[in-house]
Amino acid sequence: MSVASGTKPSGADGGPVLEARGVRKVFRTFERVPGLRGILKNFVAREHVDIAALDGVDLRVERGESVGLIGANGAGKTTLVKILAGIVPASSGEARLLGRDSFDLRDAEKRRLALVMGQKSQLWWDLPPIDSFRLLKEIYGVSDADFAERLARFASMLEVEDRLKIQLRQLSLGQRMKMEIIGAFLHSPEVVFLDEPTIGLDLISRETIRRFLVGLSEQRAVTFVLTSHDLEDIEETCRRIVVLDQGAVAFDGGLTDLSQRVTGKRAVEVHVHPNARVDEEALVAELSRHGAELAGRSAGSLTVIVSAERLAELVPRLFAMLDVKDLSVERQPLERLIREIYRRGIDAAGGGEG
Amino acid sequence: MAYEFRKRIQFRAGFFVREVLNGTVEPLVMLFVYTALYGSAAAAAGEGVGTEPVSLGGWTYPEIIQYVAGLVVVRKLIFHSRALDLATEIFEGRVTKYLVMPFRFFVLHQGRFLQFTLLQLAVAALVWCIGYAAAPAYWLVPVSVAATLQAGVLVLMGSYCCFLIFFILNALAFWLDVVWSLLVMAWFVIGFSGGALVPVSQMPAAFYGVLSLGFPYWMITAPIELLMGRLGTGDFLLGAGLVAGQLVALDLLRRWVWRRGLARYVGAGM
Repeated sequence: MSVASGTKPSGADGGPVLEARGVRKVFRTFERVPGLRGILKNFVAREHVDIAALDGVDLRVERGESVGLIGANGAGKTTLVKILAGIVPASSGEARLLGRDSFDLRDAEKRRLALVMGQKSQLWWDLPPIDSFRLLKEIYGVSDADFAERLARFASMLEVEDRLKIQLRQLSLGQRMKMEIIGAFLHSPEVVFLDEPTIGLDLISRETIRRFLVGLSEQRAVTFVLTSHDLEDIEETCRRIVVLDQGAVAFDGGLTDLSQRVTGKRAVEVHVHPNARVDEEALVAELSRHGAELAGRSAGSLTVIVSAERLAELVPRLFAMLDVKDLSVERQPLERLIREIYRRGIDAAGGGEG
Repeated sequence: MAYEFRKRIQFRAGFFVREVLNGTVEPLVMLFVYTALYGSAAAAAGEGVGTEPVSLGGWTYPEIIQYVAGLVVVRKLIFHSRALDLATEIFEGRVTKYLVMPFRFFVLHQGRFLQFTLLQLAVAALVWCIGYAAAPAYWLVPVSVAATLQAGVLVLMGSYCCFLIFFILNALAFWLDVVWSLLVMAWFVIGFSGGALVPVSQMPAAFYGVLSLGFPYWMITAPIELLMGRLGTGDFLLGAGLVAGQLVALDLLRRWVWRRGLARYVGAGM
């Protein structure tokens, strides 16, 4: 696997801000047998199941890097964040944050850390955000002057100045998430974990949050680790991308590198008449001449993957060969993208690109 | 508007039932049972209730009435399981946010204990005043300020032991799916072994010998006996020593359970 490209210099202590070496995490659970007999069986003889969420992850993040963690559901993104932030211990391997074992952080390290969870509120549900912020100010020992200045600046940047005194539960999802982000940055953390911070938000809220994160990243050498299913979040806020697949790092490199190699692909959805006859052999041959491949086929549609550069030459050929009713071009779906990256990662191990 | 009003009334009524009436039902039942028992004993001895010093297990009827009055006040000060919702926080993953903050999570719950105690001291004082105003002849009046302070210290130390026990049982949510039944059972055992139903010193000698070693006795029966003048400073010192030892042991157990539990935490919902 390649290591970061376009990274800033490491911290004053010379070490990485975050480091994972051979991190494995196995969750042990048990299978519940349904029904009355199942209840008895569950009670006397549980069948345990070990689920490997992470399988030997190596990662090194230097000060000021913004790292996007992507992967399909269950790939291990959130588990890696939990381990790096010291919320859960690794089953084996080593995870370090600011030079110390992540699961054994002292208050001094925790003061330099923040966590934003898109699906879990960090603030207190029944309090207006301003009260939660004051509580956080006391917990993190922020001075009155810094607190007032940061709160005013962040609230203005995120456009929520008039919502600070309203009970958190009464705010909209987007406003709540903006408050969460303000709360996370009030103590001026050096390392920030953001776990799907834009999930469920509208486009405007997403853009506001992205602008906020990029702004802070440029002003201060904050180290970000961002997990998201939204590639735009990653593209706009991160310069380095780590793709996890089935608990392992499938790709680790710069965004530019990834864009050139993979995100430059497009998925062409061609809708044809359900009864139209398609000469699949000729089609595949034609596609390969344009560096494209047939990725999916159903009665009324075909999915073709092609590089963005060769899209223009391929589309007329598709119209010529098929009875096209409709045609749409989209960026390659994330799931497929990850599979492709994973395959390339394996190829790289055998001497190919990656 | 009407819905909001109804919800608020329900909340207030629930608060009144849980916090104000809490701990008054059992003493009332005790009162009826003891009146019947002493009545039967007095009738068997050919005397009227309360007019002659009929003694059961070393307690006369007027003393039992005072004990029940003391119980109403003391129970207000004892930390109960409903004041913690740690198990829910663990199940729902709400503990996660505190784990990255620069303070010990336990301090937050100690704050809850302190908040509970301060509020309940005021409630207990109010209950005592109301009881004394309603029935000054029967109500428990402390024999001295020193006895009151000694009783208060023992009750609060015992209450902190309860807090630690409930914290530990809640922390079992790291392993178990259901902990509320353990909390209910623990509450009953603590109450019974402390004298919430029968004064421990009225129980058979073998029971008394065992139960008087545990903090529940020194949290319920012993403080009331101190207030009544049945126990003295020597007993207080013995009790304080015993409870302090158990408090330290429970705190060590709490630390061990919490550390082991955190290693199993999955941070659900994140």
